[in-house]
Amino acid sequence: MVVSDKEEFELRAHLLRRAGFGSTRSELQRQMENSYEDTVEYLLVPNFTDWMGDHIVRRFDGEASGMINAPGASRNWLYRMISTANPLTEKIPLLWHSIFATGVPKVINGRVLFDQINMLRKYGTGRLDDLLLQLSKDPAMIVWLDNQENHRDAMNENWGRELLELFSMGVGNYTEEDVKECARAFTGWTIGNTEYMMVRAKRDSDWPYGRIAYHFEYREDDHDMEERTFLGQKGNFNGQDIIRIICEQESTARFISRHLYHFFVADEAPVPSWSTVAPRDPEAIDQLVQEYFNSDHSITAMLRTLFNSNFFKSQNVRYQKVKGPAEFAATVLRLGGQFNLPNKDMILKYQQIVWMGQELSNPSSVEGWHEGKEWIDTGTLIERINFASDQLSDYENPGVREIVDTLIKDSAGLLSSEETVSNCLAQLGFLEISAETKYILVRYAQKIDDPVSKITGVLRLLTTSREFQLA
Amino acid sequence: MEGRGFEYPTDSVSAPNARLYVTNKSRNYGERGVRITVLDLDSEFYGTFGTFGTSDGKLQSPSAIEATDDGRILVCDDYTHTVNLFDLEGKFLNRWGIYGQGEGELNGPSGLAVDSDNNVYISDTRNHRIQKFNIDGYHIATFGNQGKNNGQFDLPWGISMTPRNTLCIADWGNNRIQELTIDGDVLSVIHNESNPLYELKYPSGAVVDENGLIYISDWGNERVKIINDEGLMIQNLRGEGTISKWAGEFLNTNVEENDARQASNMDIELDFLDDNDPHSESAHIEKYFWSPVSIKLDKFNRVYVTETNRHRIQVYQQT
Repeated sequence: MVVSDKEEFELRAHLLRRAGFGSTRSELQRQMENSYEDTVEYLLVPNFTDWMGDHIVRRFDGEASGMINAPGASRNWLYRMISTANPLTEKIPLLWHSIFATGVPKVINGRVLFDQINMLRKYGTGRLDDLLLQLSKDPAMIVWLDNQENHRDAMNENWGRELLELFSMGVGNYTEEDVKECARAFTGWTIGNTEYMMVRAKRDSDWPYGRIAYHFEYREDDHDMEERTFLGQKGNFNGQDIIRIICEQESTARFISRHLYHFFVADEAPVPSWSTVAPRDPEAIDQLVQEYFNSDHSITAMLRTLFNSNFFKSQNVRYQKVKGPAEFAATVLRLGGQFNLPNKDMILKYQQIVWMGQELSNPSSVEGWHEGKEWIDTGTLIERINFASDQLSDYENPGVREIVDTLIKDSAGLLSSEETVSNCLAQLGFLEISAETKYILVRYAQKIDDPVSKITGVLRLLTTSREFQLA
Repeated sequence: MEGRGFEYPTDSVSAPNARLYVTNKSRNYGERGVRITVLDLDSEFYGTFGTFGTSDGKLQSPSAIEATDDGRILVCDDYTHTVNLFDLEGKFLNRWGIYGQGEGELNGPSGLAVDSDNNVYISDTRNHRIQKFNIDGYHIATFGNQGKNNGQFDLPWGISMTPRNTLCIADWGNNRIQELTIDGDVLSVIHNESNPLYELKYPSGAVVDENGLIYISDWGNERVKIINDEGLMIQNLRGEGTISKWAGEFLNTNVEENDARQASNMDIELDFLDDNDPHSESAHIEKYFWSPVSIKLDKFNRVYVTETNRHRIQVYQQT
C-alpha cells in the first residue's frame, strides 16, 4: 500500500468512527471505491434502510417489542446500531438524546422513550425548526419536563426554561420574562388521558395489560391566548411561533453548531460554561453558523460542511474523543457479529453497557451525559476491556471467524508476528496505535505458534489499547 | 413473579383436562416470570411449573406448548433447544433435543404439534425447517430448508395438526401458510399471490377447525384472519380485548388507578400516528391485538389468541 492510500484509508476510518460505529477493512475498501465526498453523502443521505428489521427484533426479543421497561427499548435501539448499513442514522439520535435528554425514572414507559428516539431519528437531520417542534410535542419530553402541568391558570415553566437554556439558545441570551412567555405559549400542550397515564407512571403500573403508549394532545381550552412579547417580538404566539423565533436567533445557531462540533469533532468545555468559555475552534463554529443560515436551518447541510471541513479531517482531532459506552459496545458487536438474530444473550450485553456507565434511557442528568474523559474510570475501563476482549477473542463469533480465516487464507498460514499485528489493525478499521503498543503486541504474538490463537490473542490485546477506546 | 397473570406469554394449549397451559418468557427471561401458568376458562388458577433454571423441569425461554391426548405436556425451549415433557400436574417427565444444524438437531425451536400417533413436529426455526420426532425424541424426518419455494421455509413459527391429519405451518418470513402431509409433501399454500386481499404479513400461526375454517394469527398486521374452505377471507379481526376476571380484581383493589381509567378515553383517534403501523396503533389501543404470537383451537372450536405484548389471551368462538 502506498502512503497516500494509507492516509486515505485512515481518513475514511476517522469519518466512519465519528459518523458511525467504526468499520471493518472490507467496509472501508467498499467506501474507497468512491470519493471521500461520496462517502459523506452516503452517510448523510442514505437511499435505503438496511438493518436487521423491526419485525426480527419484535419476534425474537419480546421486551424489545412490548417495552414495559427501558432496557427493552434500549435493546431495540442497540440492535439497530449493530446491524445498520447507515450508521449515521443511529448516531443522530445518540447526538440529540444527549442534548434533549429524557429518562425512565420519570417517564416510566419504555415505549414512550423509544418513540422519542424514533422521532429524533426521523427529524434529527432535517430543519432545526421541525425538530424542536416535534420535541415540543414529544410525550416523553412533556412528561420529563412536566408540561402536562403547565396550565393556562397555573403555569409550570420547566419546559419553557429548558427549551431556551439547554435545547436551543444557552444561558445569557434571553431574559427571565422570555422564559415565562415561552412557557405560557406552551400551556395546553400535554398528553392524552393525562391523569390515567400519570397515575400509572407514579405507581410504575404495567397492569392489567402492559404499557399504553402516550400521545400528544393540544387542549385549546387550557392554552393561554394572551398576546405576549418574546425575544423582542410581540404577538399572539403559540408554541410553534416560539420555535420559529428561537430558530431565527444567532445564539441558537451558535449553540447547535457547538453541540455538533462537540459530538462529531472534539470535546468542548462543559455546556454550562459555554456563556463564558470560548469555543475550542471559533472559526469552525463560524463556518457552521454560516451554513445554518444559508441552508434555512438544515442539520444535514451543517453536517455536510462539518464532515468535509479541514477542521474535521485534521490529524489534531483524531483519536481525541472517548467513545461513549453504547458507541463502544456497538463498535465491538458489529465487529464480532454474534447477533445476526436477536437472542437473550443481549440482555447481558446491554447490562454490561450500563456497567460501563451508560444506561441509554437514563441519562445522568437533565443536561444529558457527562461525556469525554468522564466515561473512563478504573471500573468502567475494566468493563470495556472485558466486554471487547470476550467478543473479539471468540473464534465462534462470525465476525471474528471471518477476520481470522481471511488472514490465514491470504497468507497461506505463514503470517509473521509483525504482519499479524498490522493486519489485525487493518481489520479493525485501520486502527492507529503507538509504536510502543505495537512493539508489545508483536512480542506477544511471537510467543504463539497456532495461527488462530495468535490472531485472536492479538485482537483481544488490541481491545485493551488506549486507541481502541477512542474515536 | 409467581402466581396469577402472564408475562410475555408465548403460547397456550387446552389440555385433555380442560385446563389451559400458558408458556411465559417474562420481560428479562429470568427468575421473575419464566413459567407455565395453569388455569381454566373461568380464570380459576391452578398454579405454575417449569420455572426458570437449568435443571430437569426448569426452563430458560419457553417458546411453544402442546398436549397429547394421553395427558402429556410438551414445551419447547428456544434457548436450550430442547423439548421438555411434563404430566398434567406439572411433574417433569423427560427432556430431549440438542443444539445443531444436523438432522435431528435443533436451533431455536418455536412451534410444536403432535399427531394422533404422538409423533412430534417442531418448527426448527433458525434452521428454517420442520423436524419430526417420536415422543421420546427419536428423529424420524426433516422437511424443508431455507428458501422461498413451496416446501422451503424462512424462520417458521407456529405449527398445528389439521382435522385431516396434515400440518399447517406459519412460514413467517415468507408471509404465508403452508399445508404439508405428515411426510412433508406440500398440499397447499396460502399466500398473498393467490389472493391479495389476505395481505398476510409475518403470520405466527394457523389452525383449521372441523368446518374447514382457517384461523391465522397475522402477527405483522396485528390481526386474526379467518378464511373459509373456498379461500374467501370472511373475517379480519383487530381485537376486542375486555377486562378479564384477574384484571377486574386488580382494578377493584387499586381504586385510584381504576377511577382514572374510568375517566379516560381508551378508544382514542389515532390521527397523530403518521406511519399507519398497526404495531404502533396497538401500542396505544389496549383492546387491539398486540403481537398475537400464537393461535390455538380446542375441541369445542374455541379460538385462543395469545398476545405477548398485552400479556393476555383473547378467546373467540364462531357463532
